[in-house]
Amino acid sequence: MSAITLYTGAMLQGAVITLELTAGATVVSLIAGAAGAVGRLYGPRTLKAFIFGYVETIRGLPAILQLFILYFGLTQFGIDVPAYWAAFIWLCLYGTGYAIEIFRAGLQGIPEGQHEATAALGLTRFEAMRRVIIPQAWVAMLPALTNFVVLELKNTTLVYFIGVQDIMFHARLGVSNSGQPLAIYGIAALIYIVLNGTISRVGGILEKRAAIAS
Amino acid sequence: MSSDVVVELDGVRKCFGPRVIFDDVSLSVHRSEVVAVIGPSGAGKSTLIRCINQLNTFEKGVIRVLGHEVYGTEEGRPPLRRDDLRRLRTEIGMVFQTFNLFPHLSVMKNVMLAPQRVKGRSEAEAAAQAQELLEMIGLSHRKDAYPRQLSGGEQQRVAICRALAMEPEVMLFDEPTSMLDPELVGEVLAAIRRLAVDGMTMILVTHEMMFAKEIADTVVVVADGGIAEMGPAKEVLSTPKTERARSFLERVLLHTGGDTGPQAAASEGGFDAASGGFDDPTLSWSREVDEKGLR
Repeated sequence: MSAITLYTGAMLQGAVITLELTAGATVVSLIAGAAGAVGRLYGPRTLKAFIFGYVETIRGLPAILQLFILYFGLTQFGIDVPAYWAAFIWLCLYGTGYAIEIFRAGLQGIPEGQHEATAALGLTRFEAMRRVIIPQAWVAMLPALTNFVVLELKNTTLVYFIGVQDIMFHARLGVSNSGQPLAIYGIAALIYIVLNGTISRVGGILEKRAAIAS
Repeated sequence: MSSDVVVELDGVRKCFGPRVIFDDVSLSVHRSEVVAVIGPSGAGKSTLIRCINQLNTFEKGVIRVLGHEVYGTEEGRPPLRRDDLRRLRTEIGMVFQTFNLFPHLSVMKNVMLAPQRVKGRSEAEAAAQAQELLEMIGLSHRKDAYPRQLSGGEQQRVAICRALAMEPEVMLFDEPTSMLDPELVGEVLAAIRRLAVDGMTMILVTHEMMFAKEIADTVVVVADGGIAEMGPAKEVLSTPKTERARSFLERVLLHTGGDTGPQAAASEGGFDAASGGFDDPTLSWSREVDEKGLR
């Protein structure tokens, strides 16, 4: 029983790492994703092509391969990124690729008439985006964004492969030391359920508020 | 260009790909003039007025709006700078067929947005102005509502306020009543009439012939790739001189007159006043509005 208590404590410490990575990568991905989507839709041709290529690369490659290329591949050039930061950078790059697609769909869902109305009133492109287009797209995108954060959190489990001490890392360690996979993986599952349940809950509240406000 | 000309089109050609929509369109709109643009579907009426505020580009010719000049894309001139384009658009109010209100903003905020963000007005100034406009149009009691809570007619009246809040020199109306249920058309037309009475310069694309006849100074018939006929509203609508204008008006009249029995038959002969034509009182839109007390 003490082994389980011990590794539950360790997994909860791992949960802090998991949450740090998820929160940080989500913030970066959403900002970069919004900018990337605007560039993809309205930018100059070369920028559009670059962003298209970026999204296709991120979507096309298995997540674990991307992480390994970033972490192990770069050491060949003498670039030695600490595992934690390699994990964080990968999550940001990966998340941005998917966030761009979510924002793009959200922005494209806004009827042309809304763009025309802002243009006819003489609003700048930036003001139109900020005051009219993005606030509307945001409401439509919220369910997809909630889903995005949940997936981003689950993706953090891959970072244990490069030795980052997240929930999964401690769970694996606990199982090999105690020989009680069902109990320890069960507790890990419980922690993930609680974390992701909270994210869904927050997403649901935001959706409700957005629905009232519009 | 004489000093009281607000909008001038000179030899304008518009194509969509290889297809010429209209060519060699020239037209002057003077201050306080109301111009109704009529014609069959697909003739390019909407496209024509959308060229004026550059929601559509055009290929040949030039459009002047007060001091601003916009050349066709094939005239070999550098394209309009973005800021100049915005300045041009702030002179022009536009009302769309589909209203295009901002659904996430209240009625008040819809009207206040552009004055605040484009003209740099304070929130208090913008609110006072919006309040005044909404009162004029009879919607101040709905100022905190959201567009989806309004009827189509109310939405379109808010859209008119939103355009007026920028204090434009000219208003463009792109079939403002086509999307409305018949019983809601009157209130929107009443709002437009009020602007005409106040001396607003307006270009109105419409299918409401009675209304065009009543408020327009000039009627422009767009058909078959250009202006088929243009002149004083009552003349063009009652006694069109060209065959293209005549055949269009005949079709519209027969359709409109269809419900009124004998008068429709009487009007088949022509458009002269004696046969009823557009003077048929049972078709008069303004009378209908008078009865509803909207005037």
